[in-house]
Amino acid sequence: MDKDYLIKKWLSGELTESERKDFKKLDDYGLNLEILENAKHFKASHFSTVSSYDDFKNNLKIKKAPVIKLNSYKVLFRVAALLVIGVSVYFAFFFNNLTTVQTLASNKNTFELPDASNVVLNSESKASFSKSKWSDKREVSLEGEAFFKVAKGSKFDVLTSGGIVSVVGTQFNVKNRENYFEVKCFEGVVSVNSKGKSQQLTKGNTYRILNDIVTIDSTTNIQPNWIKDRSSFKSVPLYVVLNEFERQYGVKFSTEKIDTKRLITGGFVHNNIEQALKSITVPFDLEYKRDQSNKFTLFSSD
Amino acid sequence: MQDNVCNEKVFSSIYNEYSKDLHDYLYYKYGDQFNPNDKVQDAFIKLWDNCKEVTLNKAKGFLFMVAKNMMLNDIKHQKIVLKHQQIKPKDYTNETPEFLLEKEQFLQKYQRALSNLTEEQRVVFLLNKVEGKKHVEIAEMLNITKKVVEYRIYTAFAKIKSEIKEFK
Repeated sequence: MDKDYLIKKWLSGELTESERKDFKKLDDYGLNLEILENAKHFKASHFSTVSSYDDFKNNLKIKKAPVIKLNSYKVLFRVAALLVIGVSVYFAFFFNNLTTVQTLASNKNTFELPDASNVVLNSESKASFSKSKWSDKREVSLEGEAFFKVAKGSKFDVLTSGGIVSVVGTQFNVKNRENYFEVKCFEGVVSVNSKGKSQQLTKGNTYRILNDIVTIDSTTNIQPNWIKDRSSFKSVPLYVVLNEFERQYGVKFSTEKIDTKRLITGGFVHNNIEQALKSITVPFDLEYKRDQSNKFTLFSSD
Repeated sequence: MQDNVCNEKVFSSIYNEYSKDLHDYLYYKYGDQFNPNDKVQDAFIKLWDNCKEVTLNKAKGFLFMVAKNMMLNDIKHQKIVLKHQQIKPKDYTNETPEFLLEKEQFLQKYQRALSNLTEEQRVVFLLNKVEGKKHVEIAEMLNITKKVVEYRIYTAFAKIKSEIKEFK
């Protein structure tokens, strides 16, 4: 029987019993099977998948909401003070005249407030304010993390679910994630109100509430590391580091028999995932394996 | 109206029915260099924007055409090399290193063979043999006949085989 004929029928799954016997006797039988068997190594879902309908809907909302045009890093204002605030406030999207800027995983955005203050949003964060009401309602609502460079002489409040930060011409970073509220003051004076307590921060002070534990620390940096595409952490639980990693790279981690509450000090870069993965595993006796293009599992080295 | 594409229920069912196939079609045809998922998203956004003008039974054709055009805009005759999943030594605990090396070399030849196929051949072959789509389904999806599907699968297979054999 003609070889090509048999192969065609086999590819279509239409071999008869006797044709199948002839097909098995072909010289290339083993190779034929091998080719079919190994096609699965090229499966799309190992490398690229389509978004769910819910993600599509969210994406559509973001593209349709009025968004401030992004600025480059032009310095348009003189900055007098640095303030770091971790504040998160939830704002409704469509049905008011708020201006909203939002970032997804692996994104950072820069924009200006009506008083020419400059704001840089870290990944998976959202900031909103009312342009038209700015003269009497100087408030920015923030979810996630942002670095503020306030124009000299300017004054406004940053509202988050973790606390409120009042700023007067300063430079500061605010980070509010799950059970993690942190304000870092890089210049000037900042007043932080959180959980009924008030705290003044001056240049170089940091204030953190992590799982209800307050830590006051200091920094010699002039701006947060994440602006320069690096994250660094000092005595934070591993899960905090993993969450930020997931936000920067748009990946997901699962862990096998690791204590993710364990405190670590370290960091990772935002633009080289291989190097970043090593930074968060090797120093802590961990290893990783890749399950899919954007899913990893961490486990202990022993 | 029940069949109105602007109706969210209808739209979401269109998304759920076609998004994965459209994505896989773009991926197998053009690789992931130009982000097939983004193109799928943008095509559906365009459908949403034009929901008044596109009827339900024209939606699929619209999506495929829009996505393909968006992709072509990005690509300027670049060679498509599909990634292949590397062999993990842990999967083959009782095989020798020589076997693993041979296997990796085999897959590299395979990868090269796939990139030498025409886009049409590659898409149809992988949709059938990797995603398990029937000839009839592929024909429907790409607006071609079942005979053309079978022909492309056969030609793709023969080309892959001859390239692999050449270097053995």
